[in-house]
Amino acid sequence: MFKLDHKSILIGISVVASTALLLTGCLSSPSSTNSSAKAQSNELTGPYAGKLGAIDGGVIYPRENGMYTAYVLNEQSTEGINHGRVPTENELNAWNLDALPDGTGLPEGEGSVEEGDELYEANCASCHGDFGGGGHGYPQLAGGNQDKDENGIVKTLKNQRLEPGMDAPKRTVGTFWPKATTLFTYIRDAMPYAHPKSLSNDENYALTAYILAQNGIKIDGEKMTDEYVLNAEKLAKVVLPNNDGFYPNIDGPEGPANVKAFFADRAKNIGAGVRCMTDCKDPGMEAAGAKEAELVRIDYEMADVVPPYSTVRDLPPESEDVTISKAEKMYNESCKLCHSSDRMGAPAVGDVQAWGSVTKKGFDQVLRNSIDGMGGMPPKGGNDSLTSDEVKSIVEFMIDSSK
Amino acid sequence: MAKMKIKAKEKKGIVKVKAMFTSLMADKEEAIKKGISPSYIRYIVAKVKDAVVYEVTMSGFMSENPLVKFEFKGNKGDKLTFTTIDNDNKTETDTQKIK
Repeated sequence: MFKLDHKSILIGISVVASTALLLTGCLSSPSSTNSSAKAQSNELTGPYAGKLGAIDGGVIYPRENGMYTAYVLNEQSTEGINHGRVPTENELNAWNLDALPDGTGLPEGEGSVEEGDELYEANCASCHGDFGGGGHGYPQLAGGNQDKDENGIVKTLKNQRLEPGMDAPKRTVGTFWPKATTLFTYIRDAMPYAHPKSLSNDENYALTAYILAQNGIKIDGEKMTDEYVLNAEKLAKVVLPNNDGFYPNIDGPEGPANVKAFFADRAKNIGAGVRCMTDCKDPGMEAAGAKEAELVRIDYEMADVVPPYSTVRDLPPESEDVTISKAEKMYNESCKLCHSSDRMGAPAVGDVQAWGSVTKKGFDQVLRNSIDGMGGMPPKGGNDSLTSDEVKSIVEFMIDSSK
Repeated sequence: MAKMKIKAKEKKGIVKVKAMFTSLMADKEEAIKKGISPSYIRYIVAKVKDAVVYEVTMSGFMSENPLVKFEFKGNKGDKLTFTTIDNDNKTETDTQKIK
């Protein structure tokens, strides 16, 4: 349905291939396959012969002489080996719910645009906005200019968000969605978001009709008015504006072949086909005669910055404060937290009255209290690394500062 | 595509109207940024039987594809006519029956 799916199908194919190889292969010496010529430019110079050309820089290695690079191919016959059992018809039907663009698989039912309007209001508008206009963080369903350019590409899909304020590509049902039958199956299987699969087929047809009508889609040249009733037959006839906007055509038995052919002509369909890793201003254009890719440099580099640019991660140098004594410094580190004010119950430095009553005990007693702890005060103020002499000098400083 | 979508529903004498107008609503400033010419709706009026039920003057401050909602006392079956005038004095008109 989406472009991504094309890629995932290819990835799926390669995953299947590689797992098959992993299951069957086992290691052997790589030297046996390292003999092929490397004449052409797209041939590899690595340990294994191979050539570039798979999608997106991938490499194709040949399967020859029972080997795939270092792996031995399992060439045993798988005939007579069965995995699981054949599903019953009911099991198949429960799984086979999709509807092809030609209408195969669409269930019976019908619904009008007007019924869809009411259902939309009740179930969808809270996220997708009135008239499908979006604006609530969920996908916009209607709107966007459906005009096409000379190559048949819807113009609003080519929007590029190169600068702030520019519009993104408009991906609504009218501008982006390729097949209308998937609109029905998507609503039936996944919507409304809060309680999916709760609507009947008739209601799903009504909602599909409403969304198509909001996008101004005409069925068989007939405009969808409020009274228009949609059913399986009419839905299969819808041709959405972006019907041909997706490529290659992955539907049907020719699908894988189409995909291979599409990616085989990389230069035309994807681009120059060379993945650019350096100086990518103009990748691949040099070969086409364009001049060398131009490097963009900063025009006005600010160099006169004060202090100058530096990658050094040192802390600023610590300067000794000579105006304070060693005792005061130690006081700041270990005692100030409690003794700077009387909020903690400790006598505040500078409080003459409080310290007057402390010094009444005598200096020796005060010093002993500070070393052993007293009341709420831990021994040595909680800093065990202080020596008795250091504590003494701190106590002297505190008493001196509080006279 | 139609330039406007109108929905008008009558219930117990009250008509609830929702209308959405297709316009980029790009004023001068935005138009320069996007490299287009300014285009915005500057006037919207809604009439029932030549009586004005809704009238608004606006400019680029409204977001793209502006949506208006209002209600008035009216009857089923009447015709609600919206007329918009854009910055180039171009007029668009559309009519919808009240259901």
